[in-house]
Amino acid sequence: MAARPTTPASPKNVKVNSPVPGTPLFGCEHIQLLLSNNQDTINSSIQYYKMLLRVIFDKDPIVAQTSKTLEGLITTSLTSNFLCLQCSAILSEEERLKHGAKKGHRFYVDSRSGSLFCQFCEDFVWDPTLEDLRIRKMGTGSFSSRKRKHEDMFSDSVKESMKEEQRYISANTTAASCRADGLRGIYNAGATCYQNVVLQSFLHNPLLRNFYLGDGHQSNDCQVSHCLSCAMDDMFQDFYALENTNGYTAANILSGFWISEKKAFENLVTTKEQDAHEFFQFLAEELHERNGDGKKPETGSEHSCNCIVHQTFYGKLQNQTTCQNCGGVTNAVESFLDLSLGLENLARKKGKKEPKGEPSLTLQDCLDEEYIKSDKCEYRCRNCNSSQQARRDHSIKLLPNVLSIQLKRFEFKQGSRDRAASKIRTKVQFPLHLNMLPYTTRGQSDNGRESQELNRSCVYDLLSVVEHVGEIDTGHYVSYCRVGDQWFSFNDHRVELAKKSDVLGSQAYLLFYMIRSLA
Amino acid sequence: MASPVNTGRAGVINAPDDAGSMDQLAHAVLDDLLYNIVHDLLIKVHRDEKIARAATAAIRVEKLASDASDSSTPDARPDVKVETDAAIYDEGKVTLKGNPLVTTHDIVCPRCHLPRLLYPTDGKGARKPDPSIIYCKKRPYIDKPGYDIYGQTWVAQGPGRGKKKKDMEKKIDPNTPADSPTPASEGGNVGGGAASRPPNMLSFPSATCSKCKRCILVTRLNNHMGSCIGNSGRNASRAAAQKISNGNSNGNGDGTPPSSQKGTPLPGSRAGSPKKRDGDEMDEDDATDNDAHKKKKLKPMAASVNVNKKLVVKPKVGAGIKKEKKNDDDDGPTVEVAPKKKVTKVPSPAKKLKLGVKPLMSSPLAKSNGKAAVGGGNTGDDAASESSGTLSSPPAA
Repeated sequence: MAARPTTPASPKNVKVNSPVPGTPLFGCEHIQLLLSNNQDTINSSIQYYKMLLRVIFDKDPIVAQTSKTLEGLITTSLTSNFLCLQCSAILSEEERLKHGAKKGHRFYVDSRSGSLFCQFCEDFVWDPTLEDLRIRKMGTGSFSSRKRKHEDMFSDSVKESMKEEQRYISANTTAASCRADGLRGIYNAGATCYQNVVLQSFLHNPLLRNFYLGDGHQSNDCQVSHCLSCAMDDMFQDFYALENTNGYTAANILSGFWISEKKAFENLVTTKEQDAHEFFQFLAEELHERNGDGKKPETGSEHSCNCIVHQTFYGKLQNQTTCQNCGGVTNAVESFLDLSLGLENLARKKGKKEPKGEPSLTLQDCLDEEYIKSDKCEYRCRNCNSSQQARRDHSIKLLPNVLSIQLKRFEFKQGSRDRAASKIRTKVQFPLHLNMLPYTTRGQSDNGRESQELNRSCVYDLLSVVEHVGEIDTGHYVSYCRVGDQWFSFNDHRVELAKKSDVLGSQAYLLFYMIRSLA
Repeated sequence: MASPVNTGRAGVINAPDDAGSMDQLAHAVLDDLLYNIVHDLLIKVHRDEKIARAATAAIRVEKLASDASDSSTPDARPDVKVETDAAIYDEGKVTLKGNPLVTTHDIVCPRCHLPRLLYPTDGKGARKPDPSIIYCKKRPYIDKPGYDIYGQTWVAQGPGRGKKKKDMEKKIDPNTPADSPTPASEGGNVGGGAASRPPNMLSFPSATCSKCKRCILVTRLNNHMGSCIGNSGRNASRAAAQKISNGNSNGNGDGTPPSSQKGTPLPGSRAGSPKKRDGDEMDEDDATDNDAHKKKKLKPMAASVNVNKKLVVKPKVGAGIKKEKKNDDDDGPTVEVAPKKKVTKVPSPAKKLKLGVKPLMSSPLAKSNGKAAVGGGNTGDDAASESSGTLSSPPAA
């Protein structure tokens, strides 16, 4: 790191966050002294903190992990160093005390997390203003927030009327009980566990939740009878506004489902156990039709729509076909609701390589197979005007906000007369955090590979897992959903705490990954 | 830092003294990584806890300030200066005094400003809450086998409750001995067992079918809708069975797990458990019109099996010790549950009617003189007062 930069000539003074009821203005008394000094000190302190965050999150980690003792000995450490907020020194924990005693510098930044350490308190402090910057840098990679700009656009008179509005809202509404946290089971109405698991994963999907709780689809304005979206709206209200802790009876969903006249899903409407993935597709398309442009999404085409379902689940795939004869390239783009990953071939291949014991796959293996490796096909080339061998490459052109992945565990052995269905029990390891960059069209082109920013925008966190237990023809679905950092297991009406190891050890059938930053 | 010693920062993973330098390095690296993992976990908990405590200090001092200023507008920021051990309030600004982890020992909810309960009340890590404190309703989740995160458990499903007997035997819950597996004792179970059942044990609720508006027990809702909405008329179950059997043989070409043989019984098989069905209908009856008990909607077989808590069983006949139980879930003020034997004596509403008149003669016979007149007088009115008119119950005396 270079010497301390001069404060950038910013025309605007940096401000400490305005006071919010229920939170103190500063992280501790000492930060308060620093940040209620003259404007120059405030500016330089905050700007310098931003710069340190950039060093920590954007540069190679080796920069912040390398420290220099007073004697000039240079060490690179795996554990945290401390970056002085008042000069350019990077110090190890022991050296930090000496540095503080010698220079009188009291504030340091943790080299691995960017957290602020106050040497007066001898503790980490979480100052609202600085912590806000850190969270934003970690999440989106930039310090600006759209919200702030939005607020700044308004004049004071408008702000005053907005405050008035807020007062009006708080005076005329009742806040939901603190008990209502959306954690309820759903009763099994007779072999409906395949619906329950999908509904739970929708209920704990932050995008869908915000859409419905934000009156995205108002059931009292909707004219459609037995509208499934209205049923979803009611369900969200019941989960997030009522104090009830017993199970939920999804009667409206069920009747909407029975009444729905979707020919493609006729098979679903029986009283028997069904495929959760099929129900997921059904529900997504049904909600799209109720909230979107009304057009039926065609499989294999590029269908864009601004409805909540498309915004949440849909991404775009690119299939590139390269003629082996003339080298001509054709691209086809299609929308997808989920990625279906075959297990059978891979499991067999793995089984051959490691004949001992159970073959074990990783999710990345499956994704590699589908979206990195290319396959060959017959193809009618326009240039050559004849049928040619061609290479096909699949990649993801546009990543969805919520990535849903189906691991095809149910397979029909075709070919012979008797078609025997079987369940593939191969263990597939899946990560809590998934980086999709290698599978994207941009990530596969060379220039996109380095950018930290791009890398960050492709990181997904596991949101929920649907597991099928039991045999192919009979069994049970259970699901796991994450709320904050806590995992819960949902077995119909029963909700229990789950450990990460339970989640990761499950034989997943459907996986839902949520994008980490919506920037 | 790891170079002079044979371990890393945490000092947990030690290389043996005679280890080679690569060995020592590997141990040091592993040890450092362990240190980082623990460090990251701790800093996360530290952050949550310290922010919550700082907010608590702020909320408390703001409360004092607004109390001190007695302004009429609740959200206006009073221009006073208030100070607590943990924070200072000065003209709308709150600043901390000292480290909130030291000065503040509990956490209040930022929404409802009530103190948070910090330990679960049951199961792993449970502690008894202070009964004198009203806590925020957001409570730590309970981690206890057989119970859900709210400490609830459910009446095990028995035969005739949507489960086959063989499933039952396999999965009978050791925590619910009161729940007898045989349908014959169900009535007794509800009557006698209601008290022995823990308060947080729930029964399965009923829901209204959107088409026929009948009240159906939730575990049978899908089957009901299948016959009610899926197709209509009397041939529904036959048609459905036909359709399903067709579906079984050729319907699954697309990676769907085929329908099971073990799934819920076909709609037609419902007739096998008349008790259950009657329970459902009875439920509806009560929900709609409590007074019209003699409505002839009930099937003749309608034994008063109250599967559901909502059900109010009122036929109190003759003498006998009755049990009255307050039930907070109920719509009506009380649930009066007769011992099972009494209930089975009253298998149909028609009989109930007859029996309702009986106490006129039967109570004088059974009990002594003066009270009988009071009891008899009441009995004539309706089923509800009839029960209070019986001699053993305190109101009559």
